[in-house]
Amino acid sequence: MAVPSGSAAELDGVDKSFGAVRALAGVSLALHNGECLGLVGHNGAGKSTLMNVLAGVLVPDAGRIAVGGTDLTGRFDAAAAHQAGVRCVFQELSLCPNLTVAENARIIHPAIRGIGWRRQARDLIEGQLDKVFPGHGIDPDTLVGDLSIARRQMVEIARAFSVTESPARVVILDEPTSSLDTVVAGQLLDFVRRYVSDGGACVLISHLLGEVLSAADRIAVMRDGGVVALDRASAFDRGSLVAAMGSVAEERGIEAAASKRASGAPVVRAKPKAQSDAVELIAHRGEVVGLAGLSGHGQTDLIVQVFEGSGGAEVSGAVALVAGDRQSDGVFPLWSIAENISIGSLRRFLSGLLLDRGGERTFAEDWRQKIGIRTPDVSAPILSLSGGNQQKALFARALGSAAEIVVMDDPMRGVDIGTKQEVYAMIRDEAAKGRTFLWYTTEMDELRNCDHVYVFRDGVIAADLARGEMTEEKVLHSSFRADA
Amino acid sequence: MMRRIPTALIVAALALGASNQAIADTSGKRIALSNNYAGNSWRQAMLRSWDKVTSQAVEKGVVSAADAFTTAENQVTEQAAQIQNLILQGYDAIVINAASPEGLNGAVKEACDAGVTVVSFDGVVTEPCAWRIAVDFKQMGKDEVLYLADRLPDGGNLLEIRGLAGVFVDDEISAGIHDGVAETGKFKIVGSVHGNWAQDVAQKAVAGILPSLPEIAAVVTQGGDGYGAAQAFKAAGRPTPVIVMGNRHDELTWWKEQKDANNYETMSVSIAPGVSTLAFWVAQQVLDGQSVPKDLVVPFLRIDQDNLEENLATTEAGGVANVEYSLEDAKAVISAAGG
Amino acid sequence: MIARVLTPRAIRSALPVIALAVILVAIFWLQPRTMSYFGLNLLLNLAIPIALATIAQMFILCVNDLDLSIGAFVSLVACITATWLHDSPLLGTLALAGLVLVYAGVGALIHLRNLPSIVVTLGMSFVWLGLAVLVLPTPGGKAPEWIRALMTLKPAYVPFPIIASVLIAGVVHFALMRSAYGTVLRGAGGNPKSLERAGWSMLKIKMTMFALAGFFGVLSGMALVGLTTSADANIALRYTLLSIAGVILGGGEFVGGRISPVGAVVGAIVLTLAGSFLSFLRLNPDWQIGAQGAILIIVLALRVLISRAEARP
Repeated sequence: MAVPSGSAAELDGVDKSFGAVRALAGVSLALHNGECLGLVGHNGAGKSTLMNVLAGVLVPDAGRIAVGGTDLTGRFDAAAAHQAGVRCVFQELSLCPNLTVAENARIIHPAIRGIGWRRQARDLIEGQLDKVFPGHGIDPDTLVGDLSIARRQMVEIARAFSVTESPARVVILDEPTSSLDTVVAGQLLDFVRRYVSDGGACVLISHLLGEVLSAADRIAVMRDGGVVALDRASAFDRGSLVAAMGSVAEERGIEAAASKRASGAPVVRAKPKAQSDAVELIAHRGEVVGLAGLSGHGQTDLIVQVFEGSGGAEVSGAVALVAGDRQSDGVFPLWSIAENISIGSLRRFLSGLLLDRGGERTFAEDWRQKIGIRTPDVSAPILSLSGGNQQKALFARALGSAAEIVVMDDPMRGVDIGTKQEVYAMIRDEAAKGRTFLWYTTEMDELRNCDHVYVFRDGVIAADLARGEMTEEKVLHSSFRADA
Repeated sequence: MMRRIPTALIVAALALGASNQAIADTSGKRIALSNNYAGNSWRQAMLRSWDKVTSQAVEKGVVSAADAFTTAENQVTEQAAQIQNLILQGYDAIVINAASPEGLNGAVKEACDAGVTVVSFDGVVTEPCAWRIAVDFKQMGKDEVLYLADRLPDGGNLLEIRGLAGVFVDDEISAGIHDGVAETGKFKIVGSVHGNWAQDVAQKAVAGILPSLPEIAAVVTQGGDGYGAAQAFKAAGRPTPVIVMGNRHDELTWWKEQKDANNYETMSVSIAPGVSTLAFWVAQQVLDGQSVPKDLVVPFLRIDQDNLEENLATTEAGGVANVEYSLEDAKAVISAAGG
Repeated sequence: MIARVLTPRAIRSALPVIALAVILVAIFWLQPRTMSYFGLNLLLNLAIPIALATIAQMFILCVNDLDLSIGAFVSLVACITATWLHDSPLLGTLALAGLVLVYAGVGALIHLRNLPSIVVTLGMSFVWLGLAVLVLPTPGGKAPEWIRALMTLKPAYVPFPIIASVLIAGVVHFALMRSAYGTVLRGAGGNPKSLERAGWSMLKIKMTMFALAGFFGVLSGMALVGLTTSADANIALRYTLLSIAGVILGGGEFVGGRISPVGAVVGAIVLTLAGSFLSFLRLNPDWQIGAQGAILIIVLALRVLISRAEARP
């Protein structure tokens, strides 16, 4: 590793408040050329806000910003940031779904113009995709709206690294691997290493601590709007990072509970459409059933089958869903937090033909405390919450409803580790009370919370593992074809 | 440059070109009615009259078809499209009650250019190539005063009940009344109220002004307001003057009661919805090759003491006295206009 | 190979064209005399102003707004065209240019104050209507000669309405769907936040789109007067709903910047033809609006069915 030389970007004493909430409290952070800086912290610690300031999207209340050694304070906006070579892959996907992959590339490259601009844009994005994700299989003429969420993320990442007139000097990756499966995430981290060794600078924000520890040169830990620790990556380990973030690393206290399979009839019985043999997914009352495998291999389809009771799925009991793509399937963006939580249980607040607003509020308030949604007021708009907290509200909606079965479509994407632990505990709690969970997840850690795991490959169930026999190795093994 | 023009249209054009020849057979001709609105009783009666008269004409073989089309939304562009569709359907003549005097001129011109005869009535169009059967409201007002001059040789005071303020029809009728007063020199208009062509409004307005008025010899009206005026006079305990009626069923009924009780005498005048049938015959005459002036005037439907019972019997409750015109009536109108 | 060409998406985008073909064949069958130069001319000429108004509406829908004032606006333009533009061309031109600027201003207002476009444009529709009555209190006026000459043009072989429709669809398609800047404009409908993050000004984009809508509204009013020869303050009120229906029928959607200029023009023509078709059927006029709605629903239902097929290949 070359010694970091030259300043790529510098933030000095940056302050930013949203109303009464001070999101950034005088943050100073320097980014050098040729380094990857890991940025970790709780949801709401200010990581995304800081990066939005660096990308020119938010104007700070105070503080200095310099990019590539030039002080740009006071004339820094999204256009200036782009000009200076700052690129950002935002946590919420920011592609235009009604445009093709190539057209989306054109959006951030005004330099692509004139006759034959389509060919230029197509070549640019395709070349970059090839560099970052070899074998990606994405046609640049596809509409982005037709791509899976993982592929959209791949396009957005490749787009951020693509270069026309302005350089890609600083690339910010905010939870870039949250929708990617292990293989593709690996490709990305490899590319990031190549990119920084060529002199680029990169900020990597991730809740997957292993990822940050292995890919970053330095790691900054944020808490409550400030940087609380900053050192070489090798100076940290998992435990010290978690400690710095302020949450206690919980050692897994899951004792091998006796299988609940012995007694009673299953409450869910479903079979992927493509499944030709007799294997089917079975869930009993009080069980947490994991759906594993690489992303996009039929897990979501099966979740939807169970939720809708379609495709021959046998489901006894009401079903609630926790969506993974919260932007498109989850939140009602114009509603308050309380309304977003209580919509799953509205019947309960009916008094005559009208809704009991007070009861609705108390209910939401109750869940806010139980699940720790960080907001002073549940009647605030849902969009005032950070991404992780929005996801918590969706959990509250599902858990607060009377449904006996809860299906979850990779719900923990982009949620910080403290929140995750809280939610895991709650899931185990609810399961003990007799609720059944179907849980699709791309993270190995989460599978450890499951009583039973089905590994998907190519749209079918490839392995059926009870908790006792489930190991990371077995799951990975089943995720890939024997000949691959 | 080859253009295909439908044969029927060429035939129609030839027929027009040959209009000097006295008689062309119209038994193969098709006439359409393009109507912009059917939402009140007058328009409903108009459509019924059209249907009645034209179906007889079709039966007798005078024309081969006479179909009525009404637009749903009373919109100019919709009726323009309807007229263009009627051209395409190959009608030889289109009779129009127009949504706008100007807005349909483009479509009317298209029709004329395609050799289709266009006759407009009630809501007339200004395009010069079309025929117009207009209502002379001014004459209607004047006729009322002329009748009164005959009835009341000594003259006297008049109360005028006007229609809806600011509407062209109201101004025209009122102007005709004032013309008549000036011409005969016998009358003095001592009061004027707006009755909005409605019984209840007229009654209230007349009751309000009556105490301040001297003896009234006659009331001139615009139609729809005569019955209300009569009620107001009765309520005030004043002698009932000669009230000119407007062909509404309630007005005619009241008149009949008074006539039977004390031989009350007056007249009633308005435009008959059956004017659509007049337009039909005019169109037939044009297709027949007759020379017809472009501007014609609708005769009024006037009811007098002797034909009151007859008209009352054919008027339905809540409706307006109607008359369907015949071919002879149309010829009379045409010759009166100098054709 | 055929399977590749007949993808659900291809079928879906071909749906408006299929609807057009079906209705055209039905009309030709019902009324063979429409199958001529003369017939097509009469059948389609009133579709030109509707197509232009539909394109105007499409620009607005593209940025996730809705224009409820386009009918009243076209009426106002018609009134100005039949009076000022005819009597003193300079004043008329200035007035029409001014209207386009006002439209851009409405776009700016909606963006800056974050107002619902439905409310703002509903309000504007009364303003336009009031101005139209002021300009032309009683129906009348006269179309400028050159507009009348253009709209009644009889080119060799192909009727003018067809040439005009192809031209309108082609120009707008190129500008909005094929050009680099058009891509940015459409992107603003798909994900405005992303556009802002990439350094584009949403204010400018909204103003551009509203100004374009105003421009095409002006063209629509002028074309309409060219056909009717004179104007009326209420002349085009039904264009508001027709234009929205036309965009949707043509494959556009209310949100997300999914629009198609070719589809919009085809949609406007289909709606116009639907009126003719129903009148050729001699359907009771009271049923005609319902039947027009039924056509819309059938096409949209087909679209949903195809989209479902697409989701489950």
